[in-house]
Amino acid sequence: MLLSRVADNLYWGARYLERAEDTARLVRSFTEVIIDLPVGLTSSWEPLLAVAGSRAEFEAAHPAVREADVVRFLIADPQNGGSVVASVAGARENLRTTREVLPRDAWQTVNDLYLYTNSNAEAGVERRSRARFLSRVVADCQRLDGVMSASMSRDEAYEMWRLGQAVERADMTTRVVGVRAAALLALPAERDDHDEVQWMGLLRSLSALQMYQRATRGPIEGASAVRFLLLDQQFPRSVASCVNRIRLALERLPQASHTLPGVDALDLLLHELAAADATDGEALDTAMDRVQAALAALNDRVTGTFVRGAG
Amino acid sequence: MAELRTATGAWDELLDADGQPRPAAATLVQQLRELGLAELQERQDLAELDILAMGITFTVYSDGRGIDRAWPFDILPRVIAADEWRRIERGLVQRLTAINRFIDDIYHDQRIIADGVFPAELLEHSVNFRRECMGVSPKFGVWAHISGSDLVRDADGTMYVLEDNLRVPSGVSYVLENRAISKRAFADIFARQSILPVDAYTDELNRMLASLAPDGIDDPTIAVLTPGIFNSAYFEHSFLAQRTGAALVEGADLVVGDDDCVYMRTIGGLERVHVIYRRVDDLFIDPEVFRPDSTLGVAGLMRAWRAGNVAIANAPGAGVADDKVVYAWVPEIIRYYLREEPLLPNVPTYRCVYPDERQYVIDHIAELVVKPANESGGAGLLIGDRATRDELDAHIALIEADPRNWVAQPILSLSTVPTLCDGEIQPRHVDLRPFILSGRTSYVSAGGLTRVALRSGSLVVNSSQGGGSKDTWIVET
Repeated sequence: MLLSRVADNLYWGARYLERAEDTARLVRSFTEVIIDLPVGLTSSWEPLLAVAGSRAEFEAAHPAVREADVVRFLIADPQNGGSVVASVAGARENLRTTREVLPRDAWQTVNDLYLYTNSNAEAGVERRSRARFLSRVVADCQRLDGVMSASMSRDEAYEMWRLGQAVERADMTTRVVGVRAAALLALPAERDDHDEVQWMGLLRSLSALQMYQRATRGPIEGASAVRFLLLDQQFPRSVASCVNRIRLALERLPQASHTLPGVDALDLLLHELAAADATDGEALDTAMDRVQAALAALNDRVTGTFVRGAG
Repeated sequence: MAELRTATGAWDELLDADGQPRPAAATLVQQLRELGLAELQERQDLAELDILAMGITFTVYSDGRGIDRAWPFDILPRVIAADEWRRIERGLVQRLTAINRFIDDIYHDQRIIADGVFPAELLEHSVNFRRECMGVSPKFGVWAHISGSDLVRDADGTMYVLEDNLRVPSGVSYVLENRAISKRAFADIFARQSILPVDAYTDELNRMLASLAPDGIDDPTIAVLTPGIFNSAYFEHSFLAQRTGAALVEGADLVVGDDDCVYMRTIGGLERVHVIYRRVDDLFIDPEVFRPDSTLGVAGLMRAWRAGNVAIANAPGAGVADDKVVYAWVPEIIRYYLREEPLLPNVPTYRCVYPDERQYVIDHIAELVVKPANESGGAGLLIGDRATRDELDAHIALIEADPRNWVAQPILSLSTVPTLCDGEIQPRHVDLRPFILSGRTSYVSAGGLTRVALRSGSLVVNSSQGGGSKDTWIVET
């Protein structure tokens, strides 16, 4: 008996919070990579904007791509809807209207995070305090996940939350693969030592490095990293795992016959990817665009069924 | 050592006129003195951090925007002896029983008017009388299911009922939250004495709401109807839904079907609602019947209610008895329906609708509190001894223009409780709002919301106007 409006708020609350966590992790890992690169090697902060999907918005407000501006835009700018502060504020606002269906500690965790990001975001822009700020954001998001896991009944509200989380997570993984991995694969054949640093950073931005290494037990290699991020059945941030979670949630929620075709479409795309060549950067970029389009279609289908379709 | 003082001319809830602790407050006062000011201030600061972290808020309006503010709370509690409280409880139950009989009578035979006890013309001019409710018979004959009567204590120690809030009284969530905070702040003091717990309220509320369900419904679906997140009491609406397991709905979440039943829009389709605890004013609940421009209500809700397919608490029209003019008749109402003397006194009230009482008010306006009959939150209120001559004259003109809308009462001093202010402990004026549940049986919250005026000498306790709150301890002695 979950209200449509509440379901919608839960779904978006989960998406916002996942976005905050993912963006924090992305900025943190990108900063680490840049610190590792030799001073002479020019590396741009542009890819970060590309992964976040907000290059155009950034360029409209900033003449040059400078580190402090990019980082502030991505974590501390309330005008940028995808920034950490705006995502956390969005999550809090959505959870404020769904408090009655959530464990009390869940709301307090989000509120805590909101109070923290609101007063400390500028510290996250400074390189020396950036990791501390971003790690706190990630840790608080994980704390919330723990509260939900440990104290929330597996009811419709819970599944709606997991659904939003999985959709946003799949979206982020495909963007990282589509922008960063595709760009790395497209680099000239003569590779230097820094290539590996870049792939490590990419995996770390999805908290995937350690699990990738355990799964492959070998050196980091582009094509296998891409396959891992897209298709691994055990790593929870792989696109395949996210799609599995989406399917599970929709099977447990009402009106599955209306929503599941959206997941079938995603599965079909993953099936095609499994058979494709994972070393062609350009093809990968295109393929990720198609996954993203399928995610957007699924999002519309879910909203249409649960929110607009009712009554 | 923390020093506790009393104010001249007011009753203090913790200390007697010689500055000695009252019996029920003895343990508390001793502990407060031992803790000392610095320690108390530290606990106050920690309590404020808790409130921020727990997101206990209320909404104020500024520049047309709703702003979520941290709930103002003072850790020094107000103490009431359990035996006094039991008398107050009995008085409140008596009062609400009679008021509900009155409302039911007004919407049916109007015997009280026929018998010449209540003047017919008062009803004709009442802005809260709803003709659309005539002949409706809510379960148990109860209309005001949840009420919050405001109590004040005068300088001689007498506790008076100042007003009865029968429409959508708010504050009970803060009673429970204040206790949660105060248990953290004074865990050591709680251990030393017997203080009545307050948490049972939401269970009692749930039980009462469920009992209102249409006959034959065993496991009713209950919804709390809120105007939405911008309402000043949204925190409370959410809190009550959370604690009772009810759905928190807005008008747009509900729809009335052709079968005159109320449904809510869920992700699985429409689901029947049996009981609505509405926190939306009468005039906004159904645009088909009342204000057509209302987007907060549900078209057809009155139809469904009149057909007996949904219970609404408080019932539409219950506000007819929540009126400062009707208030003046409550002692007669109690005598008329219950054949009993009122256990809790009313504040003497001059009714400007009567020429002799009106003349008295005009002649003595500087010694009186003048109140409009139908405003809440202190709007339009005039405290005679604090007003300028121009302000007094302006109010006299208002009274003469619409006498029925005005009543006046002597200025009560309002009792005080020691309160942390500007790094000191100072006496501050308080009132008390207990919450009374009426259904098949009655229940009174253990204590209630103590509101405190934080400015020195001020009598304004509303949180929207800078008032704060305290935990209320009912202590067994």
